[in-house]
Amino acid sequence: MDNFKQKFIEEAADLIEGLEKALLLLEQNSEDAGLIQQVFRVMHTLKGNSSMFGFELIDRYTHNLETVYDLIRNKKLKLSRDVLDVTFASVDHLKQLLDESNYSDPDFITLHNSLIARVSKIINAETVVETVEKSANQDIIPDLAKEEFTYYIRFEPINEIFKNGTNPLYLIDEIHTLGKALVFAHLNRIPMLIELDPLKCYTYWEIILVTSADVATLNDVFIFVEGESKIEIQRVSEEDILTDDFFTSELTRIAKIHKDIGIAATMKVAEAAKKRFLQSKAATIKKEKVGLKDASISSIRVSSEKLDSLMNLVSELVTTQARLSLFAEHNNTPELISISENVQKLSRQLRDTAFSIVLIPIEHMLTRFQRLVRDLSNDLKKDVVFITEGADTELDKTIIESLSDPLMHIIRNSLDHGIEDTHLRLQKGKPKQGKITLKAFYSGANVHIQISDDGAGIDPDQIREKAISKGIIPPDKKLSNKEILDLVFLPGFSTAKKVTDVSGRGVGMDVVKRKIADIRGEVEIESEYGVGTTIIIKLPLTLSIIDGLLVKVDETHYVLPLSAVDKIYAVEREQLYDKFNNVLVLEGKQVSFFNIRKEFELSDSPLPVEQVIVVNFEENRVGLVVDSVVGEYQAVLKPLGKHYKKQEMISGATILGDGSIALVLDTNKIIKLFSRIEDYTMNVNSGNK
Amino acid sequence: MAKTILIVDDSESIREVVSFTLENEGYNVLIAVDGKDALKFLDGKEIDLIITDLHMPEMDGIELIREVRNMPFYQRIPILFLTTESQASRKMEAKEAGATGWIIKPFVPAKLIGALNKVIR
Repeated sequence: MDNFKQKFIEEAADLIEGLEKALLLLEQNSEDAGLIQQVFRVMHTLKGNSSMFGFELIDRYTHNLETVYDLIRNKKLKLSRDVLDVTFASVDHLKQLLDESNYSDPDFITLHNSLIARVSKIINAETVVETVEKSANQDIIPDLAKEEFTYYIRFEPINEIFKNGTNPLYLIDEIHTLGKALVFAHLNRIPMLIELDPLKCYTYWEIILVTSADVATLNDVFIFVEGESKIEIQRVSEEDILTDDFFTSELTRIAKIHKDIGIAATMKVAEAAKKRFLQSKAATIKKEKVGLKDASISSIRVSSEKLDSLMNLVSELVTTQARLSLFAEHNNTPELISISENVQKLSRQLRDTAFSIVLIPIEHMLTRFQRLVRDLSNDLKKDVVFITEGADTELDKTIIESLSDPLMHIIRNSLDHGIEDTHLRLQKGKPKQGKITLKAFYSGANVHIQISDDGAGIDPDQIREKAISKGIIPPDKKLSNKEILDLVFLPGFSTAKKVTDVSGRGVGMDVVKRKIADIRGEVEIESEYGVGTTIIIKLPLTLSIIDGLLVKVDETHYVLPLSAVDKIYAVEREQLYDKFNNVLVLEGKQVSFFNIRKEFELSDSPLPVEQVIVVNFEENRVGLVVDSVVGEYQAVLKPLGKHYKKQEMISGATILGDGSIALVLDTNKIIKLFSRIEDYTMNVNSGNK
Repeated sequence: MAKTILIVDDSESIREVVSFTLENEGYNVLIAVDGKDALKFLDGKEIDLIITDLHMPEMDGIELIREVRNMPFYQRIPILFLTTESQASRKMEAKEAGATGWIIKPFVPAKLIGALNKVIR
């Protein structure tokens, strides 16, 4: 700021010099409006800028002079001899004011005050001094130690709001920064397309905001649109009522039906919510008194066999329902179709409910890991952040229970052996803070859990040496890096140089592998020395029904898990065959693709247009070419039987409504498989390292 | 891509403070000393916001705002003007001319950015 201050002093000196010149001319011709305007402008600039650079004295001094010349400019005051004299005196004084060392001189201050008094007198003679009004300070509500209130805000922009370059959405964004907001954008005033003027704003908003800010701060958000747009801000409650489900769902319901909610209705709902809250509070107290009797009803234990048989029945029902749909379609009886659609809807709901009984999100065990990382990183004096993705991924409760220990062990390993000490990290040019990521996601009929760290990684040479010294492998055995890494899963293998109480407890990765195998899962390890390690756990989904996309290739139906499907494109065959590389440009992005006909060694399709189904594969999008898409399909997964156990591409089969069979493809596995073959022939980037 | 902001002010110190603050925030800054000077930038260049003083020797801020609102290409560009608290009447005048909002002098960087956030993102 000091630099700027110097600049300001230089500039102010120039301005004052210009002011002096103008005054001298003005003395000759006191009617010259241009000169008066110039003097006013100098005062105005001096005033505006001085306060920014800490020259409050100049600010206050020029404020009055500015007023004088504003009056003269507007012909409310005559430019008298007296005024000119004071202004000349002011010019000299302003020069002195630029030198802050003068401020400690009492004589200087006396002069300053007397000059101010002289200027004020001129103004007072004519009119009342304009007082600098500090806006919005009057109706401030005392700051009650960060208490949160709920406000109702209604923002109805004028149609012409865009004309002034205003984007009302930014104001909504700003509201969001103040606290927790529930925003209703009302589109009911948008006219028919034929009458719609795209340059006009038809939308208006109602917002429920929970914030500790006061009304003045909220008003401030809309300060630029204040006069012209309709703004209504009212406090609805003295507490945060957005946490109340009844309040939010009721408002949402009203907004849906009546479009506009209005303050009156909001108040009413808030009132009702409060009542309910008090009632429920009373009820819980009552319940607590009644005690165990009530609590036992809220959850019951059911034997897993009963659940299994329920699941089986649901699967059968879904299959039967598919037959019904097909039958209804062929018969073309409107009544039957509507019944069949209803059955479809019900069985879908029944299916979801049945499955949700046994599934819980992995989130439940994550807090335990968060805590572990926090405590351990403190103990080890390492700065580590634990990031989780896909915490809502659901797994069978029993799987989650058996998973907790192995995961705990893996995370401990990452913390202890993976992530380096802070100073070592800095030496390596890594960010100071280490990172352990747990990512869970669905892949085909599996759930994958990846735990990666950005730590030291595993040195394959070290593992190899160790394995040789322990007699696990003969010294001359040639192994790929992957094979070497897999050695850590062998019993009795521990790479820790020193045993720490964190991970060196004699429990090795072999135990992890065994425990995961117990729940029919697999473990893989990927590591780059110096960069980090990723451990991938693949678990079977107990879900025996998936939402799928039914497609056709040649004469066979296949089902792709809908969760993996991103988009479907129709592409002409010229683009798909006889190409040097299997890359398509879709919506401006390159997408590598595999032709299922080609991969399955079928003859080329005779169709002029084929469907490219773009699926998410690891970080990439990969296209799979099929003949045609039949539609969405709820597939009941049936195992293929032990003869087909070795293959990985197909995760199961399903019976279609007409009794024929569709194979359920595991998109991740087939893409991996296809690209592995490609790796030798051409260098397709597959993401399979 | 970084947004471009055109600053129009006859005071060098203000220009410097504003451009310093904005450049710190990662904006591209163009500088003009008055309305007339500003017009030379408004030739189809991508500009995301104009910040202008009101009192300037050659073409003042209000004239500039009117001029800009008449250019089809810049018709909807947000324009903020710098003003002092005491200039309420000028504020209305500028608003009527088509200004989007204002920044009251004196200001600290936070206040400037606060006003900016209301009109661009």
